[in-house]
Amino acid sequence: MNESAAAPRYSIVIPVGRRVDDFVELVSEYVEALDSAAVDHEIVVVLDGQKKELFEALRRVAVADARLRVIELSKEFGESAALAAGFDAARGAMLLTLPAYYQVEPQEIVKMIAAPAPDDDMLIAVRWPRAGSPFDKLRRKAFHGLFKFMSSMKYRDLGCGVRLFKRAVAEEIPVYGDQHRFLPALAARRGFRVREVEVRQSPKDRFRGHYRLREYLHRFLDVLTVFFLVRFTKKPLRFFGTIGFLAAGFGAIVTAVLVVQRLFFDIALADRPALLLGTLLVVLGVQTFALGLIGELIIFTHASGMKEYTIRRVIQSERAPNA
Amino acid sequence: MKSLDLSVVVPLYNEEESVRLLHERISEALRRTDLRYEILFVDDGSRDGTLEIAAAIAEQDPRLRVVEFRANYGQTPAMAAGIDLARGTVIATMDGDLQNDPGDIPAMLREIDDDTDMVVGWRQNRQDRLLTRKVPSWIANKLIGKVTGVPIRDNGCSLKLYRASVIKRVPLYSEMHRFIPAMASITGARVKEVPVSHHARQFGASKYGLSRTWKVLLDLLSIKTIIGFAQRPLLWFGLLAMPFIVASLISLGAAIAPLFTPDGTLILPFAGTGVLYGALALFLLMGGAVGELVYATGNVDLTEYSRLSAVSRMERDDE
Repeated sequence: MNESAAAPRYSIVIPVGRRVDDFVELVSEYVEALDSAAVDHEIVVVLDGQKKELFEALRRVAVADARLRVIELSKEFGESAALAAGFDAARGAMLLTLPAYYQVEPQEIVKMIAAPAPDDDMLIAVRWPRAGSPFDKLRRKAFHGLFKFMSSMKYRDLGCGVRLFKRAVAEEIPVYGDQHRFLPALAARRGFRVREVEVRQSPKDRFRGHYRLREYLHRFLDVLTVFFLVRFTKKPLRFFGTIGFLAAGFGAIVTAVLVVQRLFFDIALADRPALLLGTLLVVLGVQTFALGLIGELIIFTHASGMKEYTIRRVIQSERAPNA
Repeated sequence: MKSLDLSVVVPLYNEEESVRLLHERISEALRRTDLRYEILFVDDGSRDGTLEIAAAIAEQDPRLRVVEFRANYGQTPAMAAGIDLARGTVIATMDGDLQNDPGDIPAMLREIDDDTDMVVGWRQNRQDRLLTRKVPSWIANKLIGKVTGVPIRDNGCSLKLYRASVIKRVPLYSEMHRFIPAMASITGARVKEVPVSHHARQFGASKYGLSRTWKVLLDLLSIKTIIGFAQRPLLWFGLLAMPFIVASLISLGAAIAPLFTPDGTLILPFAGTGVLYGALALFLLMGGAVGELVYATGNVDLTEYSRLSAVSRMERDDE
């Protein structure tokens, strides 16, 4: 695997996780498509966890094609980590992530590469028209609807791994856990211009097997995480404080009513379950509030390491003395 | 690189009508002095022509730098960016809506001396509506002064001057711009108030309303947590736990009291509330302990601030 001296313009990053189709074949189809449009590229394949056979097969390909590099992670770290490793190794100015299984027609990536307008920082593919059972459609609708409700950002296909973006996007937005899915949303929040591009879905794009309940729960929690990260990272107390105040306030009112009834209307306090409810709500509310305060302390003590803004450029006259 | 006397930082968001006039007024006010100054316009992702106009002015005026943000991040990040890039030994911040008069700057600059690190404007005869702006702001100022321990009569006035060595050390994030004097007081900065003139908004719409009250209240609590008890979170959380310890003891007392009378039994619901409040108090104390951990691992070293203020005092004595 020779390192060619000049960095290519495009780095194709392919994370290989559990779901993988006939990979060597798929890669050769990708390469064929890229070469047909004479795209100056390199391919970085990141194997998430040790995959001996695949590694050997890819090594044979890499001998013939120096543009292919393979990174193998020592254990399964997840797709976000695999992507991050791929971004670190990539040398191109533009990064294109592709899935390790058939999602889109390989020829369509040429269309992606040709699509960016000068203003675009990130293009994400939308498989369209989309095949799938009515249940699949419903599930997709529910997921994207929930995401839109939480973040007020509208995306049609966050599950599609085909994304083209400038290097700056990867450098500025840390992805961990399962956040790669929401990279477009996180990028848009950071001021990058994100646009959707419709591409043809591969006829082989079939997820065999079915999602288990745990997957649904994970997706739901992911959306919550992103919601929190996007809206309240810098102001935890606004989130926890509002919830805590509502709970504690309600609890305080309940308790106060009971105490007033006891004092002035002689209704016994001790045998009323509502007393416990009121107390529990106060306790819960104050605890939530306290968590928000701890969050504020964390933000404050780390604020100097975070930059909340990105400067596109500084404009100044050429005659400026200290330019 | 020669150091400058003054950097004027102005965050701009959709102020296309004001930019030109603003630049003229600032230049006019400062040209008459012999100050070496620079102006920094920070365009906070405006959607109108603000950036283009500002860039055009920058071509003509070498003393103006225009910082273009990639998106709209808010007023505090805009100020933070301006302050980070500023090269003056004193940094002035003001709003871009022409409600402040740059003519006040030279007088304020003179106030920054051995005993003052920060000069804040105090708007005289404010040109705002009484009920929706002046009254809430009066209450807010009283409250902010009380809670933060920095009694400033006009926190809302954005015309402020800071010694650069101080303000560059103050962590600015989220919507802290309202509380910069309070935040700066952690570093031991000393504040002075100076009356300034105030004009009614000429162009565009005000970007604030009453709806922010709740947010400001929560922010205030954050600030109290941060500055009032910097480095002593356990104390602060202990203080918060006090009423619940009292409530717990009263409840438990009420639960046990009948035991001392003939054929009395323990009153279970009271015992329940007593235990719950006790648990809450314990939770808060543990929260305080976590807070201590946060400080221990975070990268804010408050002792550094005291050293810093000592050094800046010595420097000033040298002058």
